[in-house]
Amino acid sequence: MTDGAPEQAIEHVEISCQACGSTLLVDAHLRTTVCPYCASPSVIERPPSANRPAPSFVVGFVVDHDRAAAAVQDWINSSSIFARSDFKQAAPELTRGVYLPAYLYGAIADSNYSARIGENYTETETYTTTDSKGNTVTRTRTVTKTEYRSLSGQHSTYIVDVVVTASAGVTNNALEAIEPFDLRALRPYAPSFISGWIAEDPSRSKEDCFQLSHNESVAKVGKMLDDFMPGDSHRDLQFETHLSQEVIDLVLLPVWSFAIRYAEDRPPVQILVNGQTGRVGGKVPISAIKVTIAVLVGVVVVGGFILAIASQN
Amino acid sequence: MTSAIANCERCESPLETGDLRCSICGLAAPAQRPQAEKLTVQVLRCKGCGAATAYDIKHQAPSCTFCDSVMEVETLEDPQEQSEGYLPFTIGQDEARKAMRHWLSSLGWFRPSDLTTSARLEQLKPLWWVGWVFDAESSVSWAADSNAGSRRSAWAPHSGQVSMTFDDILVSASRGLSNGEVSAIGSGFNLATIREQPEGAQNATIEQFELQRSQARQQIIEAIQVIAAQRVESQHIPGSRFRKTQVSVVLRKLITKRISLPAWILAYRYKGRLYRMVICGQNASYVTGSAPYSVAKIMLVATCVFVALLVVVATVAAQ
Repeated sequence: MTDGAPEQAIEHVEISCQACGSTLLVDAHLRTTVCPYCASPSVIERPPSANRPAPSFVVGFVVDHDRAAAAVQDWINSSSIFARSDFKQAAPELTRGVYLPAYLYGAIADSNYSARIGENYTETETYTTTDSKGNTVTRTRTVTKTEYRSLSGQHSTYIVDVVVTASAGVTNNALEAIEPFDLRALRPYAPSFISGWIAEDPSRSKEDCFQLSHNESVAKVGKMLDDFMPGDSHRDLQFETHLSQEVIDLVLLPVWSFAIRYAEDRPPVQILVNGQTGRVGGKVPISAIKVTIAVLVGVVVVGGFILAIASQN
Repeated sequence: MTSAIANCERCESPLETGDLRCSICGLAAPAQRPQAEKLTVQVLRCKGCGAATAYDIKHQAPSCTFCDSVMEVETLEDPQEQSEGYLPFTIGQDEARKAMRHWLSSLGWFRPSDLTTSARLEQLKPLWWVGWVFDAESSVSWAADSNAGSRRSAWAPHSGQVSMTFDDILVSASRGLSNGEVSAIGSGFNLATIREQPEGAQNATIEQFELQRSQARQQIIEAIQVIAAQRVESQHIPGSRFRKTQVSVVLRKLITKRISLPAWILAYRYKGRLYRMVICGQNASYVTGSAPYSVAKIMLVATCVFVALLVVVATVAAQ
């Protein structure tokens, strides 16, 4: 489930703690660190580059650790009955709250579309039937029918608030699972929001993120066009979208990240919690045994039913 | 008195103090923070005791664990809307009274005959109500069903894209006047006469905007969509009957003025009941309000129609 995340060698930078003067080695993609000697939180600022722009916006944490952990526990308890039992019993391990780098994308979308628009009409038709006395009679009834007319045209709209991941550690699907973020709470980036927390720099290339944004934008246009079509129904909606005047801004989003280690031989499952709304997202490992048992039970029940009917005849 | 600071680089709509992004197209406002030129490491210090501080969820801001003081962070500005100017009253009290008499007498035969003479003016109050006036350019994509080109169904689909300009369109923000009253008197104003201070009436009620900027923008954009749909129906969709009119509006250069507009609010009593009237404060021919009907006259007409029908039926039956 990786979106082609680039493999990167872990680089380190050497900084000195501004509180006690100790020399610290920090992962190059982190914006923050806590000094192991004096516990002072530092915020690191680097000159921006093409793939590592300076953050424009930040959404602050609202959900605290306890609420996030409770939300994860609820989510595990209410997960599918086909989930592995050891998963349902596992205790989530917390990795700390992270400010995840993401891009906020906007553009103008011009689309050409075509569709078959269904317009309903009613017709009176005559039919023959037998009445209660067994006589053949002719009756009339009104039926609703649909005629399809083709429609094509142009549609233009602003695309705003498309959010895509810029971190190689979190796939765009994983981020979508905990969206939406309330962007009304967007603040201009300031070091004071991330001090003491883990904040990453983007670890995906800008081209990669543009591609993700395009895909989300086209999906958004598709939904808009679905609502835009006149008529009582429509089918065969096709469209081609051209995105222009694109803008992309780096935003840091609050995310609680949990890891669930449910079996020795399996990789841990990543579960994310939206640090602003508390929404939980992740992929539940399905138990192959449970599914097999369910299928077998289903087969036996259906088979038994068929046998029972067959034996009666 | 406007708080515009710059224009959005993409859609050329004005940005205002505190805007992070353009409210129309979503483009980020120019960054105000200087960017780092070399690697720097920063420890945020508590202003009270000097200890290092970290962001605290409870306070939504960095706070100091030693002395409990909270650092201030930049908060989002979403100020209450403020009026930027007033249109003066050009209709005086006497003219308003005259307009009331004239309006009452123009209502038609179904009203009580003594309405003009017996109606007693109870209250005559000047009001500055609030609204937005906007200019904008836009590209409007539309799709709709209309009766033009229909075959077996009564409806056929149509679509198109037009450019549309909006000049001095008035949108009400008033709680004191209903939407119906605003649309009845809205065309009577001369928007070029805007003044800094209220002029032309004493002891007027001055209404305030009760919305925050973000809600106001939402309301204006919704109003623009309604106006665009109406214009598309009257000018662009072929046919005479429409349904499911959809518009997608791409706005540019949306410039909004927040203004206060003058109106006379009248209350008159007729046979113990109170009725309300609103007169445009700049043009006495724009009047709206409620007035009683004459039950006797309506009964009379109904009886006449009934009798006439009976006569017709009787004549037909007799033949």
